[in-house]
Amino acid sequence: MILLPILTFGPMLAAMLIACIGRRTALLRDMLTALTGAAAFVLCLLLCYLGDISFALPGFCGLGLTLRADGFRSLYGCIAAFMWMMTGLFSPEYMSHGHHRTRYAFFTLLTLGATLGVFFSDDLFTTFIFFEVMSFTSYAWVAHEETPGALKAANTYLSVAIIGGLTTLMGLFLLYHQQGSLAFDALKSSNSFAGTIAAWLVVVGFAAKADLYPLHIWLPQAHPVAPAPASALLSGILTKSGIFGLIVVCSRIMAGNAAFGNALMALACVTMVLGAVLALFSTDLKRTLACSSMSQIGFICTGLASMTLLGEHGSLAAYGTVMHMANHSLIKLTLFMAAGVIYMNTHALDLDDIRGFGRRKPLLHIAFLLGTLSIACIPPIGSGYASKSLLHEALLEVISHQEALGQPVLAYRAAEVLFLVSGGLTVAYMLKLYVCIFWEKHPTRQSEFDAQKSCMRPVTAIALLGSAALLPFLGALPQTLLSPLGARSAAFFGQHAVAEAIPYFSAANLQGAGISIAIGLGVYLFIVRPLLMSRQVIGGAREYINLWPDALDLENRLYRPMLLTVLPQVLTFVCRLLMELPEAIVMGLRRTVFRQHRTHRAVPVGNRFTYALGCMFNAAARLLNTTLLHRSPMRTDFEYLLAASWRELREGTRNFTVSISFGLLLLCVGLYLTCLYLLQ
Amino acid sequence: MLIFLTLLLPLLGGAMLSVLRFSRARARAVYVEGVVLLTSVLVWAVLLSRTNADVILCRLTDDLPITFRVDGMGCVFAGLVSLLWPIATLYGFEYMKHEERENTFFTWYTMSYAAALAIAFAGNLFTLYVFYECLTLITLPLVIHKKDTLSIRAGRRYLTYSISGAAMAFIALVCIIWFGSTTDFRLGGVLDAAKIAGHEDLLLLVFLLAFVGFGAKAAVFPMHAWLPAASVAPTPVTALLHAVAVVNAGAFAVLRVIYYSFGRSFLYGTWAQTAALLLACLTILLGSAMAVREQHFKRRLAWSTISNLSYMLMGAALMTEGGMVGSLTHMVIHGVIKITLFFCAGAVLVRTGKEYVQDLRGFGRLMPFTSGVFLLGSISLVGTPPLAGFVSKWNLLTAAADTGLGLGVVAVVALIISAVLTAVYLFTVAAPMFFRPLNTDLSHLDGFNRDPGWMMKLPLLLLCAAMIALGLWSQPLVTFLRQVAAGLTF
Repeated sequence: MILLPILTFGPMLAAMLIACIGRRTALLRDMLTALTGAAAFVLCLLLCYLGDISFALPGFCGLGLTLRADGFRSLYGCIAAFMWMMTGLFSPEYMSHGHHRTRYAFFTLLTLGATLGVFFSDDLFTTFIFFEVMSFTSYAWVAHEETPGALKAANTYLSVAIIGGLTTLMGLFLLYHQQGSLAFDALKSSNSFAGTIAAWLVVVGFAAKADLYPLHIWLPQAHPVAPAPASALLSGILTKSGIFGLIVVCSRIMAGNAAFGNALMALACVTMVLGAVLALFSTDLKRTLACSSMSQIGFICTGLASMTLLGEHGSLAAYGTVMHMANHSLIKLTLFMAAGVIYMNTHALDLDDIRGFGRRKPLLHIAFLLGTLSIACIPPIGSGYASKSLLHEALLEVISHQEALGQPVLAYRAAEVLFLVSGGLTVAYMLKLYVCIFWEKHPTRQSEFDAQKSCMRPVTAIALLGSAALLPFLGALPQTLLSPLGARSAAFFGQHAVAEAIPYFSAANLQGAGISIAIGLGVYLFIVRPLLMSRQVIGGAREYINLWPDALDLENRLYRPMLLTVLPQVLTFVCRLLMELPEAIVMGLRRTVFRQHRTHRAVPVGNRFTYALGCMFNAAARLLNTTLLHRSPMRTDFEYLLAASWRELREGTRNFTVSISFGLLLLCVGLYLTCLYLLQ
Repeated sequence: MLIFLTLLLPLLGGAMLSVLRFSRARARAVYVEGVVLLTSVLVWAVLLSRTNADVILCRLTDDLPITFRVDGMGCVFAGLVSLLWPIATLYGFEYMKHEERENTFFTWYTMSYAAALAIAFAGNLFTLYVFYECLTLITLPLVIHKKDTLSIRAGRRYLTYSISGAAMAFIALVCIIWFGSTTDFRLGGVLDAAKIAGHEDLLLLVFLLAFVGFGAKAAVFPMHAWLPAASVAPTPVTALLHAVAVVNAGAFAVLRVIYYSFGRSFLYGTWAQTAALLLACLTILLGSAMAVREQHFKRRLAWSTISNLSYMLMGAALMTEGGMVGSLTHMVIHGVIKITLFFCAGAVLVRTGKEYVQDLRGFGRLMPFTSGVFLLGSISLVGTPPLAGFVSKWNLLTAAADTGLGLGVVAVVALIISAVLTAVYLFTVAAPMFFRPLNTDLSHLDGFNRDPGWMMKLPLLLLCAAMIALGLWSQPLVTFLRQVAAGLTF
């Protein structure tokens, strides 16, 4: 079917076109960018309508390219294209004072093609190809500002992407070796040791992109420095492409593998809590949102882990996962665009600088509030509520499942507690942002902020509100809007669709949400306000402070020193050693076997042997002269004596050796030896 | 007879150049390009006519003839060389304008084409050995072209390593004459089972000598030190000879020795294979690690070449059909990519005189075309799909995992680590080209386009197209190489 290659390669062609025309006509370029996103969205919707479609290009890159759009894939294609369309509308104003706008547009469209390629892929090889292309093209987003911070973040991003990508390649390659095919449908679950190793290697690259602990280091740096629309895409979609890979591993290769599920659950919990805590401590708007993304990825991964642990009965977990993915994409789109609006007006992201900016700006206020309610999972209009309830439900299912199996469940109970606490922290950090931006007043610039009535152009407002407007509907009508997403996707997750209606607003679910909200309010009132804001009142307001200790920075404390200092030092030492070896051999040979010049000086008389012997005799004689032969000293010119006798001997023997009798003598010796040999 | 003509044409054409002594650059360019192009056309005529017969030039003794034959592997090498030579020559015209003694340069440059082709078409080990030595001697004047202390020292080093390598290879030649039924190349080896009984260990030792000896040109550890030093030569030499022709001749000779003289079944699973594989893996890591440390642009690429040549030797040392396929694939694809990267380095050198990595920041604005090509080449060499470098790496990895030896894992790990290092040493050049401002000493040039002229751009463009095409549609090439490895091609 021709639609699929159009969707993946079309945007790349559009990118080329933009690279050609971009510098001349900015307007056309911006329109083309947004139009490509819109066209992709329309085509993706068409794909959703058309149902199961596949496309294959055998021989491409060696193993062939296969694309397929079935339930989950066409759904995620839609979401991706929607996000590109919205950011495409949003970026012209945001970028209007920036530099290298053509470069930005070029790489954005390349990334669109690659991302759609990832989501439509039907074998891991195709996934990997587009995944790598996506990693490289999105580097341009992170490095876009070209400030030292941006370049450092971009380096980190690229390093993590490359190391992760190559590890994944190695895993894919082992997998191919074991299973003989990388097509999704042909992947079998494998519990062997080699199979587990392969699966973990494959997971590394995807987990790095999805931002799972301990490979999360790039995200909190990259998102704040990238342009806001790019942050929205990085956070909303690119992390999901990593999740896509994890889904494939969890649902096919490692389906029902308890050890894998447990390990993933542990990582997911760490990511979830760490992200939320980092977000709570952060005093930078975009950094908070970035850390929040990390935390939400943790939530999504608990769903995946639950699904793996539950085996064939993981339908609810799968539903929760896909719904939370979709929710998180849309929520982060809204929130990052709102952050973008704030940044393009104030050119600041620090909470102390943007405090009070949102007052008397109803559109921005509504959009941000909708995003906040959704991510904090406040029923009934917070869209995150439904998905998170399902994830919670799945976790409870895991507990009862393990109890039925007779396994200890304490760890899972702890995971549940962490889940609820993280939910609470989400409420707390979003409340911190919301209160700071929309309720508090800036000590000095408030009147200036209030004067900026029109903080965005109409097109930008449409993009922002269009994204935000979806959220309350999703939140209020989960049964009609969110459940179908799960039903569409269940097959891709290897699960059955849930037949009966899911009671989203049941008492148990509401109770879970209530606990989280209570924790969140508690944390905000008793930790954020008293502890995370300075005691001194500066200019009429208390500053937000970041108490997060630097010692916990995994990147600067561990990864960078390891990769940049320890490893090169060791390698260099070994290399130097090895390199010197052949040269040393050559030098050694020159000194010994192929001696080119004599290093010793010529002896004054005789040859070296007689001279050395003479000197020894002289030394002995001198020693004797000073001790025993004190009265009648001996001669001390033995070297001359020996030299003279040697000369005599040489002359005497020369006369002899050139004589015929010597020749005869040698002949006789030779004959004797021959006779002896023959006689034996 | 066509083969003789193919070999004679560049030899005489080059030699004539030192007689004709063109004073006008244009006339010389037309003449040299004509000779080279005609030779390439003849080569392809030879390749496509598919004559399988031996052509004997002369006989030293009855069983030591100098023979030429066109077989599958020869086709690959000759095809590669014949496509790249005209491109590199075209590039050379513009590049050499800023060097002196162009007549001398192009004399040797054209004549070495003949030596490379003779190696490709060599029908037995003796012929290969003879022309292998010839290639060393013919390319020596190119290395010391500048005639300053540095290049003369590099030339001496090149000579020392090559000749001592050839001396080791000579022992292998003698042993093959002694223990083999013939010196001809036959897929599967020519060792005579009756003669070698009891001498296996000796032969394995001799094989190892040959591996290191012929490997000297492919810069295998411990014979690698000449290659980074030789990067003082003019860029057309470093690009064509020290990234493709000469060094691949080394890898080619090793492949011949393993698969066509000793035979892989004799060597498979022996300690000699282990040693050869370990040497290759060691060189892979050594080359990549040193490339990361090296700050001189061309020398960094030279270290990278060392590492990549050992990919080929590693494939060869796997002693499987897959290994041979991987090795040949990498020979072709690495040739295309590395010559591109060197051309970019040369363009930078000619147009701005910058030769250190940190000087190249912000060149994306100064030389957009060159920087773009370099970026593409870098991505390709790292092995990112869908560009060409991925295809060969995938083939090599598959071959390494399929050997059934424990050492296969070592090879896989070495390849992956090296891939990471490759990314480091190339992207630390390529990324700052686009994401850093120009260094202050060049900022007065900001806004000007310093890209080279068409004679340097066209080769780069062609090579880029080849890189993309080989990445997207590698199937025909890989299929052909599989046939070669299986002995199915004529």
